[in-house]
Amino acid sequence: MKKDLGWIKKIFPGVDDYHKTMTSPERYRRFRRTLSMVMIATFLIPLILTTMLSYYEHRSQMLANLRWNAESAKKTIEAFLSELQTVLVYTANGHTYEELVSDDNLNTLYHRLKSYYPGVVDLGIIDHKGIQQAYAGPYELFGKDYSDRDWFEVVTVNKTYIGLVEMGYRKVPHFAIAVNFINTTNGQNWVFRTNIDVTTLDKYIENISAGPLSDIFLVSRKGEPRLQTTSQQYGPPLSPFPYRLPTNRIGITISEERGVWDYVDLKAVSFIEGTPWALVLMKHGYLYGKDWSFFKARLFFIVLASTFLALFVILLITRLFVGRIREADEKRESMMAEIEHTSKLASIGRLAAGIAHEINNPLAIISAKTGLIMDLLELSEDFKHKKKIASEIHGTSNAVERCKVITHRLLGFARRMDVTLESISINNLMREVLSFLDQEALYRGIHVDLDLGDSIPIIESDRGQLQQIFLNLVNNAIDAIGKDGKVIIKTRARDQNSIQIDVIDNGKGITQDIISHIFEPFFTTKDSVEKKGTGLGLFITYGIIKKLGGQISVRSSEGVGTTFSVILPVKINLSRRVFDVES
Amino acid sequence: MSKVKVLVVDDEIEFATTLAERLNIRGFETTACFCTEDALALIHAKEVFDVVLLDLKMPHMDGMETLEEIKKYNSTIEVIMLTGHGGGISLVGAERKKFGPFDCIMKPADINELTTKIKQAMAKRQLALDQGEGK
Repeated sequence: MKKDLGWIKKIFPGVDDYHKTMTSPERYRRFRRTLSMVMIATFLIPLILTTMLSYYEHRSQMLANLRWNAESAKKTIEAFLSELQTVLVYTANGHTYEELVSDDNLNTLYHRLKSYYPGVVDLGIIDHKGIQQAYAGPYELFGKDYSDRDWFEVVTVNKTYIGLVEMGYRKVPHFAIAVNFINTTNGQNWVFRTNIDVTTLDKYIENISAGPLSDIFLVSRKGEPRLQTTSQQYGPPLSPFPYRLPTNRIGITISEERGVWDYVDLKAVSFIEGTPWALVLMKHGYLYGKDWSFFKARLFFIVLASTFLALFVILLITRLFVGRIREADEKRESMMAEIEHTSKLASIGRLAAGIAHEINNPLAIISAKTGLIMDLLELSEDFKHKKKIASEIHGTSNAVERCKVITHRLLGFARRMDVTLESISINNLMREVLSFLDQEALYRGIHVDLDLGDSIPIIESDRGQLQQIFLNLVNNAIDAIGKDGKVIIKTRARDQNSIQIDVIDNGKGITQDIISHIFEPFFTTKDSVEKKGTGLGLFITYGIIKKLGGQISVRSSEGVGTTFSVILPVKINLSRRVFDVES
Repeated sequence: MSKVKVLVVDDEIEFATTLAERLNIRGFETTACFCTEDALALIHAKEVFDVVLLDLKMPHMDGMETLEEIKKYNSTIEVIMLTGHGGGISLVGAERKKFGPFDCIMKPADINELTTKIKQAMAKRQLALDQGEGK
């Protein structure tokens, strides 16, 4: 069943054209182009897919690293803040409200705490009305009223509070941590509060390593985002942060902030629970990262090199492949033409032999009858018109004789005669043949040259039939020249199994339209009355050569001359010969 | 010397009779016969023929089979095959010597060539008879 290539042909026109009989160069160019395209596509598509996959795999690996770094930084900061809160709770829990409002006690606690956490700016105890009842630190804040502050309300409700970084009275960036307690004596709320210098947080964050080109800092979550710690790129605390924060409060949100060319900031944002802060980890221009550049360069080089190599190989292979197909097609076409020619000649031969046989019997009767009439005329006495009758009968008899020559030659072509094999020296045979034609050549001023090769093997063939072949060919050569010219007879060994004989003349040559018919019967160019040919010479020669297991070919240039080449086997394959003749 | 007895066997009646007549003019004692069965019947009826001119292609029984029958009956009778086509004879070696024809001539045959061949065939038969071969 023939496969439907419709859809393939739509994509690649001409993909199945090569098997069509035309052998025009354009068809092969088109086939080569299509084949190259198919092969290049077959190679490049998987290469591009693999490259893209590697690219995205590498990128997602980088994103995973960033996420992991952000996660780890977030946990570290949360742990630090939790530690601070715990310290406050434990510090307060060791004392009653009354003990703590004593200045001395709070001062002692303040100094002890500061020795562990140098970033602690001050400590304060605020009563349920929001009035600072005790204060230990560098400022005069005793008795300050915080009742109208938001944070005081938040800590009363939430029990803990971590505040945004602000300048406050202290004019240095700091943030507050406050814990709400209940006075066991009177059941009233009180707040233990400390302010921490932002530099403590900065130092802490600096210690979190997130690899080169990274910037870790905290920003405020409410309103326009402002830095809460120092950023390498965006400046000191409370500077504005140019990007909006994501609305997603859970987990880590990663986004890209594009700059010029492929300068890209990769931004990981994570909200820190229980604080008004978000942790930001930025990789500046991560596409300029060493790893990434190296990876990209490697990828680019591999793809480019593979593509060039593939293009070179594909073009080379397609060229070779299409070249071979073209050669094979041309060979096949010439073989088909040869077969067609041979089978045409064989058919004509059989047909001619059949007709000759049919004609031969009535011809035999005419011949016998005219013979008898002539016999009777010879036996009878003179009578009126006897001579005239004898002459007419003689004419009839001559015509019959001419017909006989034709039918016998035709039959000779198809006849399965016993081939008498003997060992023959082709050079001697050519000399013998030439001795028959010497006089004729001399008479016409034609010089016959024998160019006989050395060490030509003795062949096994039929002497009489070979003589007939070469008599015919040399005779034709002499006829082609007419007067004054040259015939060369060349013999040589082709290989161990065959020999070649060339009969070359410098006659008028044969035109291309004639050359394809010269082995056909009744085809003659000898049109003058005295040389009238039967048109059977080359036809019979062809038949005999085939019978002897050989080949004949002809080359000719008009005005230059003609060469008939005969190839004969050194040994005849008898079974094949019989088959050839019979078939 | 008695006349050479020739039997012409050919299904072409016109050819056989005309040829027989021409041979008679040339001093042979010729009988024409138009099928192989009649020819064999004549030979089996003790009619003595020295040379048989036998057409190769004939209906019912072809020339080769007839030749074999004749040779089996009397190997000294010489047979000259007449053929109108290029078929020829494919007997070789000993088989040809025993059952083969004296010669094979293509139609239309030249009367002089034919008479020469008949005489040569007769000479061969005479030699065989002298040596005491055949019946």
